[in-house]
Amino acid sequence: MAGSPEWAPVALHCRSSYSFMRAASQPKELVQRAIELGYQALAITDECSLAGAVKAYVAARNSPLKLIIGSEFQFADLGCLVVLVQQHQGYAQLCTLITEARRRAAKGSYQLSSQQLLAASAQLSDCLLLWRPLSDKAFADYYQALQEAFPERLWLAYSRHYQANDALQYRRYREYQQQSGIPVLAACQVYYHQPERQPLYDIMTAIRLGQAVTEVVDQLLPNHQFCLRSSTELQHCYPMAWLTEASTLSQRCQFSMSELSYQYPAELVPVGRSADDYLRELTYAGVTQRFPTGIRRDVQEKLEKELNLIAQLGYAYFFLTIHDLVQFAQQRGILYQGRGSAANSVVCYCLQITAVNPDQIDVLFERFISVERDEPPDIDVDFEHHRREEIIQYIYQKYSRERAALAATVICYRLRSAFRDVGKALGFSEAELSYYMRHIDRRDQQLDWQQQLQQQLPQLAQTTRGRWLLQLTEQLRGMPRHLSQHVGGFVIAATSLTQLVPVENASMPERTVIQWDKDDIETLKLIKVDVLALGMLTALGKMFKLVAQFHHRQLDLASLPSDDPAVYEMLQKADSIGVFQVESRAQMNMLPRLKPERFYDLVVQIAIVRPGPIQGDMVHPYLRRRAGLEPVTYPSTEVQNVLERTLGVPIFQEQVIKLAMVAAGFSGGEADQLRRAMANWKSSGELRQFEQRLLEGMLARGYSADYSQRIYQQICGFGEYGFPESHSASFANLAYASAWMKCHYPAAFYCALLNSLPMGFYSAGQLIADANRHHIAVLPADIQSSDWHHQLIPLQAQLAIRLGLCIIKGLNGERCRGLLAHRPKGGYQYLAQLRELGWSASELQQLAAADALSKLSGHRYQSQWQSMALTHQQLPLLAQLSDAETDDMPLARPLEYQDVAGDYATTGLSLRRHPLALLREQGRLKGCRSAAELPLLRHQQVLEVAGIVTCRQRPGTAGGVAFITLEDETGLINIVVWQTTARQFKQAYLTARLLRVRGILERHGEVIHIIAGRLSDASSELDQPLLTKRSRDFH
Amino acid sequence: MNTWLYLHAPQLLLDTQLALQTPAQQQQPQVLLAGSRVGARQVVQYNQAAAAAGIALHMAEVTATTLVAELQLRPYQVAHEQSILEQLAQLWYQDIAHIALYPPQGLLFEVASVLRLYGGFQGLLQQLQQRLQEWPIRYVVASGDTPLRARLLAQAGQSLLSNDADSVQQAVAQLPISASGLEPVHITRLQQVGITTIGALQQRHRSALGKRFGRTMTEYLARLNGELPMPQQYYQPPAQFSQQLDLLAEVASWQQLLFPLRRLLQQLEAFLQVRQLSVRALLLQVKHRDGQHTEQVIRFAHPVWQLKDMLGLTQLQLERQQLDQPALELALQAQRLEPRQPHHGDLVQASSELAAPTQSLGELVSRLQARLGEQAVQIAQPQRDWRPQQVQQWQLWQAATATAMAMPQLPRPLWLLTTEQAIELQQWQLQWGPERLASGWWDDTPCQRDYYIAVDQQQRQGWIFHSEQGWFVHGWFT
Repeated sequence: MAGSPEWAPVALHCRSSYSFMRAASQPKELVQRAIELGYQALAITDECSLAGAVKAYVAARNSPLKLIIGSEFQFADLGCLVVLVQQHQGYAQLCTLITEARRRAAKGSYQLSSQQLLAASAQLSDCLLLWRPLSDKAFADYYQALQEAFPERLWLAYSRHYQANDALQYRRYREYQQQSGIPVLAACQVYYHQPERQPLYDIMTAIRLGQAVTEVVDQLLPNHQFCLRSSTELQHCYPMAWLTEASTLSQRCQFSMSELSYQYPAELVPVGRSADDYLRELTYAGVTQRFPTGIRRDVQEKLEKELNLIAQLGYAYFFLTIHDLVQFAQQRGILYQGRGSAANSVVCYCLQITAVNPDQIDVLFERFISVERDEPPDIDVDFEHHRREEIIQYIYQKYSRERAALAATVICYRLRSAFRDVGKALGFSEAELSYYMRHIDRRDQQLDWQQQLQQQLPQLAQTTRGRWLLQLTEQLRGMPRHLSQHVGGFVIAATSLTQLVPVENASMPERTVIQWDKDDIETLKLIKVDVLALGMLTALGKMFKLVAQFHHRQLDLASLPSDDPAVYEMLQKADSIGVFQVESRAQMNMLPRLKPERFYDLVVQIAIVRPGPIQGDMVHPYLRRRAGLEPVTYPSTEVQNVLERTLGVPIFQEQVIKLAMVAAGFSGGEADQLRRAMANWKSSGELRQFEQRLLEGMLARGYSADYSQRIYQQICGFGEYGFPESHSASFANLAYASAWMKCHYPAAFYCALLNSLPMGFYSAGQLIADANRHHIAVLPADIQSSDWHHQLIPLQAQLAIRLGLCIIKGLNGERCRGLLAHRPKGGYQYLAQLRELGWSASELQQLAAADALSKLSGHRYQSQWQSMALTHQQLPLLAQLSDAETDDMPLARPLEYQDVAGDYATTGLSLRRHPLALLREQGRLKGCRSAAELPLLRHQQVLEVAGIVTCRQRPGTAGGVAFITLEDETGLINIVVWQTTARQFKQAYLTARLLRVRGILERHGEVIHIIAGRLSDASSELDQPLLTKRSRDFH
Repeated sequence: MNTWLYLHAPQLLLDTQLALQTPAQQQQPQVLLAGSRVGARQVVQYNQAAAAAGIALHMAEVTATTLVAELQLRPYQVAHEQSILEQLAQLWYQDIAHIALYPPQGLLFEVASVLRLYGGFQGLLQQLQQRLQEWPIRYVVASGDTPLRARLLAQAGQSLLSNDADSVQQAVAQLPISASGLEPVHITRLQQVGITTIGALQQRHRSALGKRFGRTMTEYLARLNGELPMPQQYYQPPAQFSQQLDLLAEVASWQQLLFPLRRLLQQLEAFLQVRQLSVRALLLQVKHRDGQHTEQVIRFAHPVWQLKDMLGLTQLQLERQQLDQPALELALQAQRLEPRQPHHGDLVQASSELAAPTQSLGELVSRLQARLGEQAVQIAQPQRDWRPQQVQQWQLWQAATATAMAMPQLPRPLWLLTTEQAIELQQWQLQWGPERLASGWWDDTPCQRDYYIAVDQQQRQGWIFHSEQGWFVHGWFT
């Protein structure tokens, strides 16, 4: 019928899911549907946002579809305006417009009035405007102003969706055009890619309004015509002239995201020098520092190779930027460590970005920076946790907020949030929804959540609402909810960042985020500098200071003696509580099996105890091969080159990628796609498309089906948790450093760890118990000698730890530090003096309850009784008098268990005897073995143990097994509980504080487990002594 | 002498709910949860099935549901429990005059005078228990020489019933301090200095305690020992109107009863006037010679309080009724008493002229319903829905809400057919369309139709649609 044969549809007003709950299709779905329907152009016009633009660009990149960049704005007086970009200049103009509107309003909203828009019209000279007037009045009021502001660049956007007022609207737009001469075009308003998404769109509307869908029917759209329609449908719907007008307009939009080019900040290079030269100079300056005895020839060759590659790809500025940051950290004495593929290089070692000596680890050169994949280098820098803010402020100060902003993180719906929101919008009650959700076990690897619900609650899927709940939850999963800030990824630009991407406010005051996440940044090859925080660096910093103070030895990360046998001997015995990355129970089990002897073993150990390698069935082969129980073989020399350093077993992400290339013939680009798919395979299932390609590739190259399948499983396992070798190496460096400190300066080690809590796996009590096992004396918090923080004090020619007042719950650090500054030299003389010197009545109570006043006023009952009397400020004389209290009999001294209970209640730990020791002494644990006895018992022996439950774990990887850690007065006991046992003794398994376990001892080398056969809850034993005490008091 | 009795029902609300369940339902583990935030709620009441599965008091919701997946959860409602407590008081008011409410779970009885009547605590307890036959709640009763002692024992679960004040005092002294009913912060403080029983507390010098804990502590001790009288607010049953008349002679029909009824209604009018109440329903009860009763409920569509209204409407409703046997006695009970309101809530601010039509409409409806039955008077309520077949719904007059819920203005025919009629499209000429309606996917009557305005061969303008089933006419514009 009508139209020129070359006419093809365009859609100029499409919202994507990045309009957050105002549209129901992902950018990719819109693009793919548009391609299927033969569209020539598609404009993604999210509301005041370009957050979906890069995703759409990726989807449209290699297709005939032209992607137009634009954005929609709603005005209370004007109606709706869609701003479309013509050329690069227009793009920068739109970014600036969005940034300004966003920066004026709080996170998640924007503010743009019609006046502000008209005033900014000169700054939108390269943009086209589509207008949907709110009313006849809005048109009459504004058409002249808009026409003047946007001459030849203004259209009326007619959109028809078979609604009751179609004819009226059509007549109005015709009249508008006759009256003003502004051309009308068919805009095709789109909220979802296909009509089947209408229910999801309706549900999103209900969720947005916070009501059930049946309550908001009048605010839903009457039909499902807000989708992308075929060209036949469009020709039925619109006059051909208006369709061709839209098509003509789309010709004017020539901008493509591929034109964006990022420029590094240039001020770091002295005037007149090239960046490459300057980097080379800095690097070689570092060589003399790092290799005082001269650099080895092969290392120098590698260094040259790296420098050449950096120059070839133009990444010198990036390395200089990081170098500048770590220089600042060094000046401020902030401990840091770089990691990431590019960090473990000779260049980074010489620039002091990392302390991992490249001598110790042979990182794949390809991972350093891949020419083939043309991906930007990756360096994350961890800083001391509590000092990271100084670095962030430095960045803002140096580059200004104009040029630096955080990357965004897109917060998406996950199963639970989707289920709850969809459920509420369908009118289910909170109670019903939590009942249903209790039947979903996300660790179930056989059945997905829908199958689980259908199996366990078949009646749910028999109702219309129930079926929609299942279906729409699944559709809503993965839909973006809002933008949040990335933990520490900064994007720094040479000039204004807002020329490149819109910037908006974050929820933290004074923080700004760009509208793109890390994937977008990677796609457009922007450089992101990751400024992260790490608690262990804080602890190490404190350890070094203590060692300098008490041992007069200056240490830093790079100067620790490497490959110290004593350190490895300690680790081989699983003596690793408090040591970075290898202190978890799983890691501790692995240490005696893997028996690390050198740095690279630690790198493997850290990567190996991850869910990934276990799912891929690859851990045991590595251990067997390492123990010499299995021959080390390689299916080919290519594979040998990749896997030799891990005995033929793929352990690192880099190896898996390299394997895909050498063994399955993946190109660099494909391998890169594989890597991205691995990063989010669970949510999108993208990985499956590589399965066949990989298996076929490997079979064609002569690998067995079994081996190929195992490699594929390995990749799936890596998906979520895969650990790159380069990260592992950086972590191993910190693991080694903390282990070295534990081995040689244990007192400083524990003291610094205690002062850096919360971090790691263990509580203060557990760390102190470990310190005691290493013969480090720990003294209680005491008002006469404690500081706020824990400190080291000399005690009988050794160092002991004096706990600080910070251990006492409820005290305010700032206040206490101030008050302690006024503590008399010889300590306080009498209790009331504390009140006189500013301690409040409640602080006194807390100190007394924690037994920190005992040197002043006797045992903890008496101390508290006396301090209670000091509630009101009293004159010293009266205070003395009232302290005497001749009319009252003294309180009885607490019994030991009461003191222990008091300690736990006020500080969460006790330096007195362990509660289990008391129970054992009283004969309450008859027949139970202690942790210390276990090594003396034989394999498979039936026994009973008891202990305080310190940890319950049910790792997702371990099938039906749960792990419980018990603590008694002699140490820790590891319990393995099979699912059937857990079910049988559910109450004890879930709630016991003190657990008795009857089971079988299993011994693998030095690793001992108890396989539980029977669990019983003995928690009441912990409360019982209190009863006996009461009766003793009053008979 | 212990003249106080305290009853503590720690699971009052749940027990009352259980009493209404079948034995099979009672076997299901169920709990009541307190706490405002979902996920942070705690178990406050639980039945035996739940206890057997390991549920304990104050267990977190998440632990409880992990422990027992099929656990039934309901929110604990304190107001509801309190009203149950009042019902209990009302029940026992027949036996004991002096009952003080300790909401939400306790009742205090002053029993000095009734102990002799029932022959001691056991007899009294039997009498109380007898009234609970249909209402199996779990409770603890304890006696005390002071109200506070009785209460602490009962709340601690010790059902000590004794005339001996010494044994009560000893038992209370042995209670842990956590059962003292003192403020939680004071309990913690006392525990922290090793004072772990009420007895130990009493051994401390009062002035020393006062200095540390203030007047609330000294007052507490005085109340414990009965040194400080505890003024009790005793329960008063609510005002009810219930009167009866001996008819002197047998009366054979309702019509003949109207005259004596008038007298009762006069009394009711006075009763309502004094209390500024209105009434929505009356219960008429006639007693027959054989001792049988006949009951008749009279409902009003709007609240009334004037004799003429009550009588007139009652008369209308009784006209249709037969009296099977002659009556000897007539009783009248006022049901659904309500405070008087100026008029309807939505017209509070309106002038009397405006209010008048509604009032007379209400009266009209009352009269129509009296004549035709409640079901016969319905009102059309527009619904918010895109589906034409859902837009109009008929509802009972009483159920209708004041706020109209209309959709935006749409071209809709005045006359919508109740059922659509199939048509031959050839006989129609399309004038305008389509208006595509696709909505209602969330229930069992989704709609997917294209509507058109069209004229038939008689030049009548109709509203026709096309769906998967074919072409239909749904309404007429002319």
